[in-house]
Amino acid sequence: MFVAQEFDENKPYTYQNKITLCIDSLSADEVFGHTVVAGNARPFRGAYTRSGSGYQLTGAEPGDDRYDGVFRFWTAEDGKLTGTWKANDNSLAVVERSYELEKRVFSYNPNLALPSSVGWDMLYDAANELAGEGEFLTEAVTQFNPSAQELRSADIENMYRGDLEVMRNSIYARHGYSFKNRKMRYVFDQVDWYMPVSADIRMNLTALEKRNIDLIKRYEEHAEQYYDSFGR
Amino acid sequence: MKAPSFRSGSGRLAGVVLLAAYAGFCWLMWGISMQYTGLDPDAAFLRIKQDYTGMLHYRIAFFIHAFASLLALPAGFTQFSASFRRRWPQAHRRLGYVYIAGILLLAGPTGFVLAVYANGGWSSQLAFVLLAAGWWYFTWQALRAARRRQWRLHRDWMYRSFALTLSAITLRAWKYGLVALFHPPPMDVYRLVAWLGWTVNLLAAEAILLYRYYPNRIPQFLLHAPLSPRPGRRSTLRVQPAPDAVPDER
Repeated sequence: MFVAQEFDENKPYTYQNKITLCIDSLSADEVFGHTVVAGNARPFRGAYTRSGSGYQLTGAEPGDDRYDGVFRFWTAEDGKLTGTWKANDNSLAVVERSYELEKRVFSYNPNLALPSSVGWDMLYDAANELAGEGEFLTEAVTQFNPSAQELRSADIENMYRGDLEVMRNSIYARHGYSFKNRKMRYVFDQVDWYMPVSADIRMNLTALEKRNIDLIKRYEEHAEQYYDSFGR
Repeated sequence: MKAPSFRSGSGRLAGVVLLAAYAGFCWLMWGISMQYTGLDPDAAFLRIKQDYTGMLHYRIAFFIHAFASLLALPAGFTQFSASFRRRWPQAHRRLGYVYIAGILLLAGPTGFVLAVYANGGWSSQLAFVLLAAGWWYFTWQALRAARRRQWRLHRDWMYRSFALTLSAITLRAWKYGLVALFHPPPMDVYRLVAWLGWTVNLLAAEAILLYRYYPNRIPQFLLHAPLSPRPGRRSTLRVQPAPDAVPDER
């Protein structure tokens, strides 16, 4: 997790996001890597030195993105990595974050299921003005795995819009998609197997997943437009 | 429409309000139909009918139904008004033929086809099949009665026919209300309104007819409820008051 240390409470900040930090290559005195967090994949480049039994590294992002900054981190022998990140722009909502990361290998597995706890999540930014309450997910959200089984209309026609949206996005999550959209990010960041590794995974979708995405999307849009309106 | 039988001041107001509400709902129905003017088999409701929109007969039935059903709505403004019938009998007859032909030849049979493929499984399919069959049958009986000049029978069947016509509006109103109050899952609410949408209307029509035939059998508390028709105000003949009953002010 990429945890806020210094932040402006008056701005809409996110306390913590899942981050993936990847060291891509090392030359004699330079390190090249990239990070993926909150839908933002950014390269960094810097220097490294031996420090005790591990290494100490610094990596600066290119600086042409509003959210660029500088990473400073240490690796230990057990593969653990700890460090900080400081934003270049001091007017951002969060200007400093820290992280403690485990070594982990990403691999796509279509059979990963959402934990049942997701069925109790409340969706961010989905307040229902009419009822004066937020939108909660239901246990139906974990009923099907759209990466592993072909969905039929009858399977999903009785599902709420929020459940449909999370179910559809679980496909992207399995491929390691890093969500820019807070509503989905907050749901999937809580899932153990979820590892954000890319800001665009459209090329990796299987034919089955594409068919299911199209079907779910139809019901989502229908629910969005017609569920609480005068019509069908 | 009960508007014509509201003759008192507050009753007349209630009639105007009902007609205005009906006009508003007709406008909404017009808007719903206009979503399909492009004949796009992937528009609006059809987005979730993709299992059936591949079939030519379903598409033909859907688009005919979406537009021809509108022919049944104008009848609500005119056909149940006694003064309209008295003043413009020819217009009553012409509008009546538009209503009847629209249902018997176009909207009714196509509604039956759509009912067979309704979302929600056997329960809602049965509800919509009965609705389509009843709509056609009541309208057909109303036509037969009119051609035999059996006006009272014609009126009775038309009450039933129009009760089912109104289901286009009441079904959607039920859905709107149930969703606003209880947030049920989408297909549960659909199965529910498939039945509520027309059965309640038909019961109301039968209740009105019962009252017409047996006004004295209606429990008293119902008659004193607001908006309920009052005994003694049913006659379409205007009884002139006796000269000595005319108030001095006039």
